[in-house]
Amino acid sequence: MAWELARFSSDFLVDVPALDGVEVEVVPAGEPVRVTHVLDAVEPRIRPDGRAAFPTDGRAGEGRTNRLDGVVVLSCLDFPAEERPLHEQESIVDLAGPGATLTPFAHATNVVLTFGPREGVRNEELEAWARRTTLSVAEEICRPTLDAEPSAVERFELGPADESLPAVAALVQLSDLGPLYYQYLYGVPAGQAGLPRAVDPCEVLDGAVTCGEYHWAALRNPTIAFQRNELVRGLYREHGERLRFAGLVLMRGYEQTADDKQRAAEAAAAEAARLGADGVIVTTDAGGNSHTDVMLTVRACEGAGMRTTVIVAEMADPESTNPGLTDWVAEADSIVSAGNAEELVPAWVPERVLGGETLLDGTPAADAGPVPVRNYLGATNQMGQLALTATAW
Amino acid sequence: MNAVHYLNQFFAGLGGEEAAETPPTRLDGAVGPGRGLAAALDGIEIVATLACGDDYFAEHEDEAVDRLVALVEVEGPDLVVAGPAFGSGRYGYACAQFARAVSDRLGIPALAAMHEENPGVAAADGKTLIVPTAVNVAGMRDALPRMAQLAGALAAGRELGSPEEEGYLPRGFRRNRIAEKSGAERAIDLLLAKLEGETRSEVAAGFDRVPPPAPVADLSTALLALVTEAGCVPQGNPDRLPTIRAQGWLRYPIGSEDSLVTGRYESVHGGFDVTLANEDPNRLVPLDTVRSLEQAGRIGAVHATFYTTTGNGTPVAASTRFGREIAEELRDAGVQAVLLSGT
Repeated sequence: MAWELARFSSDFLVDVPALDGVEVEVVPAGEPVRVTHVLDAVEPRIRPDGRAAFPTDGRAGEGRTNRLDGVVVLSCLDFPAEERPLHEQESIVDLAGPGATLTPFAHATNVVLTFGPREGVRNEELEAWARRTTLSVAEEICRPTLDAEPSAVERFELGPADESLPAVAALVQLSDLGPLYYQYLYGVPAGQAGLPRAVDPCEVLDGAVTCGEYHWAALRNPTIAFQRNELVRGLYREHGERLRFAGLVLMRGYEQTADDKQRAAEAAAAEAARLGADGVIVTTDAGGNSHTDVMLTVRACEGAGMRTTVIVAEMADPESTNPGLTDWVAEADSIVSAGNAEELVPAWVPERVLGGETLLDGTPAADAGPVPVRNYLGATNQMGQLALTATAW
Repeated sequence: MNAVHYLNQFFAGLGGEEAAETPPTRLDGAVGPGRGLAAALDGIEIVATLACGDDYFAEHEDEAVDRLVALVEVEGPDLVVAGPAFGSGRYGYACAQFARAVSDRLGIPALAAMHEENPGVAAADGKTLIVPTAVNVAGMRDALPRMAQLAGALAAGRELGSPEEEGYLPRGFRRNRIAEKSGAERAIDLLLAKLEGETRSEVAAGFDRVPPPAPVADLSTALLALVTEAGCVPQGNPDRLPTIRAQGWLRYPIGSEDSLVTGRYESVHGGFDVTLANEDPNRLVPLDTVRSLEQAGRIGAVHATFYTTTGNGTPVAASTRFGREIAEELRDAGVQAVLLSGT
């Protein structure tokens, strides 16, 4: 199965449709702007054959998809706070200043959508409106590419590879901790999507997975982290060179009982084994007990004879020498650190704030003082999108 | 700038094992390896050398540290340097504990030097800067300039760079940096290396596993306390327990209540859906069940206070402190068993 991703320059971003109840602002790269209450980040995509760019039926990862290079749609929503537990954590994107080193979006043109509250509309409904609107804006602003020639086309296809190369699978965890903490597969919450199961890696790159998970911002995997997934792209690049890309398994994070966690870990390992994997790279979504799921999965894979490397973020008190892992098993002897989410980023005073002037803890976003890494969207995401890491001092 | 240097009896020229009982002693200026160190130091003079016998330090540690710190205080130096102790365990331990006490109590920057497997490194517990050296005295010529380099950085009062840049052993802190490759590319590299038999990790293995205590000998006579990290508090959260990253813990009386009445307690935990928990707070703090066990004689008595905090995004160091503080109170109250409900 082959899929083509056609690149178009940001010059094709001409117009953002007006939306009722949503403030829209286009921010050029590097402007001294802080964006707050960020839910998701999405790369503009559209499909020339008329099928949906973020399908809820049919299949992604076939034919051709157009993308706007260097453009990111950021959705922002300050939920009415009293309706806990349906409550997001703080989530910031700094387009300049010290926090800009923690995001690739500082180099992009950002289309910032700020969703306002609506009388009588509860958080789950607000979230669904914001999420669907954001995906449709990301599709709509890509429409001018339909009549144009792309500047480049990438083709994703796994050809035959030397059988002596090690077979490597990706095992990608998707959160499901209830409303506001869901990742979606074809519009279905991860917990109801029949996971674990193997999918074509192109499906992940092509909008099959979208983000509705608003827990710790730094540990979040926004939609663009699947669309531009570095792990999948890296495994495609290495296929036939240093390894054979055996495939990709999606599994759920936040199984709710110890027994379910164990069963899910073993089932995910069994899926990877069915792909014929010699080695598995296990990725993590969000934090807390999803780290237990991921560690049990590492153990299950090793127990089934597959070697593993796992990507996790650390949450180490910067002033303490205590370990920063939420959970750990002895089999996890090959860990990539996506950085320490607890480290403080020096204070920065932006010229403008979009998304909401006040942070969830009540401090003014324009003068918030030092901000912990954990509040920066995707900064320590555990699919390995970025180069941030933590080292021993 | 002035420095004070610490040596054991042997390197201070006071004698070998026969002088190992020497109590803390002050010598003028640089002595023994201190002369080589002085030559390597730039703009820093060693004004005094303190020495102590290895056995004396080991047998009278608290007193030795007190006296050595007092001697440093008299000198009022800009920094303190200890060693190098190489692979010598007693000497290295003394260097580490002395240097740690100097910086803790006097606020004077201090460093020690020893082999990375010297027991002094573990004793320092990340609280002391340690320059790694060879395992024996043959590494003296290499060690002194590197000690002098770190001493210069400390004397300058500037913020230290990474262990590799400054030449000290990692203390166990975690600091962020931007790597040359993405995490995904590094994961591929690590996995392929592991498949070829070379296992590496960016996070050192190890985790604080708490061994389960011995079973309670006789529960029917034991005083049992209820403790939870589920954020269970009286309705309205009068003491404002945070929903995430709690800075402490709280205790509330349960007196002779038979259960936690719905509507009078709630969970403020921000890490799970509390709807069901609030419908019946006993599912977080199972007072109803332990009362029935108490009435059936299977539990001696239920402690009249329950303890609560929010276990959500809490650093391990803070959680460890909460646990220690709560355990001390419970022990002092004569509690013999704890039912700890986690979420």
